[in-house]
Amino acid sequence: MSADVMIRIAGLRVLYGSFAAVDGLNLDIRRGELFGLLGPNGAGKSTTIRVLIGQRRPTSGTVTIAERDIVREWSAIKPLFGYVPDRENHFEEFTGRRNLEFFGQLYGVPRLRVADVLKMVELEEAADLPVRGYSLGMRKKLLLARALLHEPPILYLDEPTANLDIHSAEVVHRILRQRVQLGATIILTTHDMDEVEKICDRVGIMCRGRLVALDSPLALKQQHTERKVDVIDTRGQRWVYDLDNPTDRAQLGALVATGQAASLRTREFDFHAAFLKLTGQAFH
Amino acid sequence: MRWYILQALLHKEAARHLANRGGIALAILLVAAAVLLSVFAPPEATATGTTIVGGVHHCYLEYDRLTPLIQHLRTHVPPELKSQMVFRELAHADTIDGVIVYPTGTGAIQIRQVQAADSPTGRAMVHVSIWHPDGAPTALAPYEQWLWKEMRRAYTAWACQKLPAAVLPPLPTFDDHQNWLIRETHQRFQEQVEAARGESPGPPLIPDLALDRKGLGGKVLDVRAAIATGMVVFALYFACVYLLPTLSCEERERGVLLAQALSPASPTELLFAKFLFYPTLGLGLAATLAGIYKPDILSSLFFWLALLAVGGGFLGIGMTIAALAKTQRAAFLGGMCYLLSVSMVLLICATNNIPLLSNLAVEYHGPRILHAAMSQTVDHTHWLHLMAAMGLASLWLIAAGYIFRRRGWQ
Repeated sequence: MSADVMIRIAGLRVLYGSFAAVDGLNLDIRRGELFGLLGPNGAGKSTTIRVLIGQRRPTSGTVTIAERDIVREWSAIKPLFGYVPDRENHFEEFTGRRNLEFFGQLYGVPRLRVADVLKMVELEEAADLPVRGYSLGMRKKLLLARALLHEPPILYLDEPTANLDIHSAEVVHRILRQRVQLGATIILTTHDMDEVEKICDRVGIMCRGRLVALDSPLALKQQHTERKVDVIDTRGQRWVYDLDNPTDRAQLGALVATGQAASLRTREFDFHAAFLKLTGQAFH
Repeated sequence: MRWYILQALLHKEAARHLANRGGIALAILLVAAAVLLSVFAPPEATATGTTIVGGVHHCYLEYDRLTPLIQHLRTHVPPELKSQMVFRELAHADTIDGVIVYPTGTGAIQIRQVQAADSPTGRAMVHVSIWHPDGAPTALAPYEQWLWKEMRRAYTAWACQKLPAAVLPPLPTFDDHQNWLIRETHQRFQEQVEAARGESPGPPLIPDLALDRKGLGGKVLDVRAAIATGMVVFALYFACVYLLPTLSCEERERGVLLAQALSPASPTELLFAKFLFYPTLGLGLAATLAGIYKPDILSSLFFWLALLAVGGGFLGIGMTIAALAKTQRAAFLGGMCYLLSVSMVLLICATNNIPLLSNLAVEYHGPRILHAAMSQTVDHTHWLHLMAAMGLASLWLIAAGYIFRRRGWQ
């Protein structure tokens, strides 16, 4: 295994009865990478995460984390990751601080670290209120704080910015980028395409248990941006020219050369469209 | 097993109970009940107070006239019946449409004087009517024993007073039961038979009768100890079969159990912390209740062994329910269903003399050994019950540990 590969998934197959939730997934995630795992509902993202957090055994295939086998060396792997689930899971009757102190004790981190992470996620003011009074966004930030307590080299995040306001989402993005700069590996599942485009180093798109695309957002952009130009001529008529078509290219050139093009606009990359195209293709 | 992790888990359990005070409130109520039991029914007063005697809690003695007999009866009520006896004139009894009515759980002895003119025998008569609860003709037995004895005493004294020079039959040798009546009836029958023989010689035709009554060695249920035992068993059940599964399932339902399972805490540590906290809570509460009832129980080895066996059994049952139930509600209902089904099985086995089956329930042995420990009537059969309870507790704990480790946090 290459030294910079933190997580290696090889031929992973997970069956629920006869249904293959993950079907032959091969994926290497590098050290210090923020990896976005996308896919429609039922694509196999959650099952993959469940395998990574040791809650589901692979039916076949192997998963190694930091060169340790996830089944055989699970106890050595456990302290290496932090996990932010999609559904918040706090002790409602405890304060935010008490929740973090409890998990801090389990991880054996000093008590001061609790104050640090509370500050990091901007929850110091609400730290001593019972969690049952927290908003959904505050609960989500508390989950992130808990996952960061022991400064794990790996973070699994399931919809980390769902229910967060723009400012809080920015805070989370900043924290994730900081962690990546410090060498942490992050796997993020989300349905927010803008978020993926904004913060992920690489993106894997899953559909029906298989990986249907794997590249950086920029590369995906280049691969899937429509190379078309919208033109409005001097008479007010609207034309669309496909740059991959030589005839269209020639016509566009002529239009521009004769000065008949009143307005020209290239089409922007649309991650939603690319995602739908990729996953839609896979469906059909 | 890492102590700092166990410490964190135990602190967490305690903090959860401090934050959700329902459990603490119930424990305080139990302690208060034990204190009340101790104050209002001390051990030396078990036969008095509100105890039920012979199946009724009160017996009315009703009379039409305050005769010397009634006065004698009134002044010769034994201490153990004093609080149960109510003397009143028939005219003062509660009636509905002219019919005397008695509250449930009571009985009555009515004594009426019948004049010679109204008597079927043509002589003055005392008419005694015994009113017992329907279907329980022996419910007033303790009151009747007292009545016949004192009636004989009263009439003997009255006869002595009226016939100071006469040689009257002596008072029979009264006992705590009706044996004196049986002996006297037998003797009277012997005399009648011998009188009928006339002059023919020979030994008496009817042999003498010797009668005695002895206990089998077992003891009648000590109601006070039974109540205290019930509270001790409930304390263990509450901690291990109610609190443990419901709170564990609540953690699982909320996903907090998963969060703990993903932390460095191992399944064994999570399990051990629960195994340590809830039995300690249950045993502590149970020992407190028992100590309030009778402090010297706490120095009894048998009591502690019984507590450990029952606590261990309940812990295993609670843990199994916690592992099998998916939600807090399911855990609560599971505990209730278990309790009801075991109670029904035990009842059916007891009423139909079905052997062995009831021996498979911790609930069969538990109350027996705890009651024996609390009423200080331990004999060798209780040691056998204790060993059976310990065996069953071990089986439950092994099963619970296996199931919980396999699917406790899924």
